[in-house]
Amino acid sequence: MTSTTQDRVVIKGAPLRGTLDRQNLGVLVPLLPIVLFLGFFFFFPMAVVFVDSFKSNEGNWSMINMVTIFHDPYRMAFINSIKLGLVSAITASIPGALFAYVIETKGSQSLRRIVSSLSGVLANTGGVPLAFMFVAAFGAEGSAVMILKKLGWDLYAGNFSLFSFTGIVVVYLYFQIPLMIIVFSPAIHGIRKEWRDASQNLGATPLQFWRFIGLPLLLPSFAASFLLLFASAFAAYATARAMTVGNIALVPLQIGNLVDGNVSINQANAGKALAVGMVVISAIAMIPYLIIQRRARRWQT
Amino acid sequence: MKIRGILLPSTLLAAIIFITLPFGSATEFSFRDGGKTKHSLAAYRWILAQEDFLHYLGVSLRLALGAVFITLLIMVPTVAWLHLRAQKYRPLMEFLTLLPLVVPVVALSIGAQSALPEALQSNEYELSFMYVILAMPYTYRALDIGMSAIPLKTITEAARGLGASWIKAITFVIAPVIRNAVVASLFLTLALSLGEFTLTSLLHWDTFPTWVTSVSQQNIIGAIALSVFSLAAAFLFLFAIGLLTMRSKSDLPEGQE
Repeated sequence: MTSTTQDRVVIKGAPLRGTLDRQNLGVLVPLLPIVLFLGFFFFFPMAVVFVDSFKSNEGNWSMINMVTIFHDPYRMAFINSIKLGLVSAITASIPGALFAYVIETKGSQSLRRIVSSLSGVLANTGGVPLAFMFVAAFGAEGSAVMILKKLGWDLYAGNFSLFSFTGIVVVYLYFQIPLMIIVFSPAIHGIRKEWRDASQNLGATPLQFWRFIGLPLLLPSFAASFLLLFASAFAAYATARAMTVGNIALVPLQIGNLVDGNVSINQANAGKALAVGMVVISAIAMIPYLIIQRRARRWQT
Repeated sequence: MKIRGILLPSTLLAAIIFITLPFGSATEFSFRDGGKTKHSLAAYRWILAQEDFLHYLGVSLRLALGAVFITLLIMVPTVAWLHLRAQKYRPLMEFLTLLPLVVPVVALSIGAQSALPEALQSNEYELSFMYVILAMPYTYRALDIGMSAIPLKTITEAARGLGASWIKAITFVIAPVIRNAVVASLFLTLALSLGEFTLTSLLHWDTFPTWVTSVSQQNIIGAIALSVFSLAAAFLFLFAIGLLTMRSKSDLPEGQE
């Protein structure tokens, strides 16, 4: 390791090539553990998935799996999953954004803090317990269903089922709306009161403020949040698995089935091709999300 | 003017109903005795009678502590080093550690299953390592924000300049000032590990969350009672973290399955 004095010499003067390399090495070596760790437990497995998805089950290069995933039942599963992602993002982002707006503009400092902590908790409340909770509330014997029945609304009079596409969308709201509040609140918070006052002083109506200042500022963050919500619902596995009884084809569930060996062995690499498909769609949503969030952070603090 | 006055209270009311309806229902359901309207603690007594309850709770805790240990060993020194001496690599590391967020957990599971060596896959602690990967976008960010808030480099140089050895600088200067960030990141790892289901079940291991799922097939009220228990525990736990990390609010989404 180089000492502080040596650092200063290197930065000030024109260093010899050897000195520079040695110094760089000293800086880089402590970063090696995390790079190796990520490489072995993340990049290596993902590379294997990617490579294997272009191989037949006999190990030859082949596009067969890539062709397979564009045919039913997998094609249908992709359509369902994308639809679920979109519907869930729409149904969660709008109430989430409105709620965040009311809390950020009307709520006190302590209320905002409580909402923020609570949203963090609820956004994490995914998974199997969440599904069971909704079975207890909205299942055929559920408490909420019985209360509604006493009030004169029989939820199960029609063809409602919790174990359906609509049911999944409703359950997902429980973690998607809080997620929206978490990612969108900073954007609303970033709109300074001064901007509003300034536009008013210059004669702008509230409508003009929103048309020319408010919405253009919020739109990128809204779009980013929407993309995140899409990716989150698109990739969710645990809740969907507990909620569906195999009646709705979703990509994560199909991969799960292939991994569990519920399907014949000659489809082993089809699961990997499906995984690649999921990564591609997830990346299409998440990469713009990360880029927009990064840019937005500049004026939100 | 009237609408403005009731806007906040009505929004809050809607939020309270939204939160309490499913949770309250599940709590009520878990006290049902045999599916009728009679209530008792039967489901909770049933849970306590299950040997597997403590067993799988133990497994989950052990694996979570393993993940915490790895985070302490790898993440904390790395981020500290990035702030002390390797500032120019911070954007690169931020990018790399965010990548697990882009890949769906299901996809990573199938990769881990087909790529990791047999010896590792037959050891349950492989899950601890994978949990660290899943938590990395959050732990890295928590540590990075925590350490950005303090002039770590300056005070460390001051300590060194005043003659402190590296060991002394780490124990008496660096460790105390980064303590909050470290604790926050460890709690995040713990919370994520304790609730992880997708990767665990796809790699065919059994932990507390996967056990709850298998319980549901024989005793649905028992499974709901377990869900109430684990959600209440997660709630208290995460709320504590929320209060703890209040000052360093991150713009990252919280993870879920």
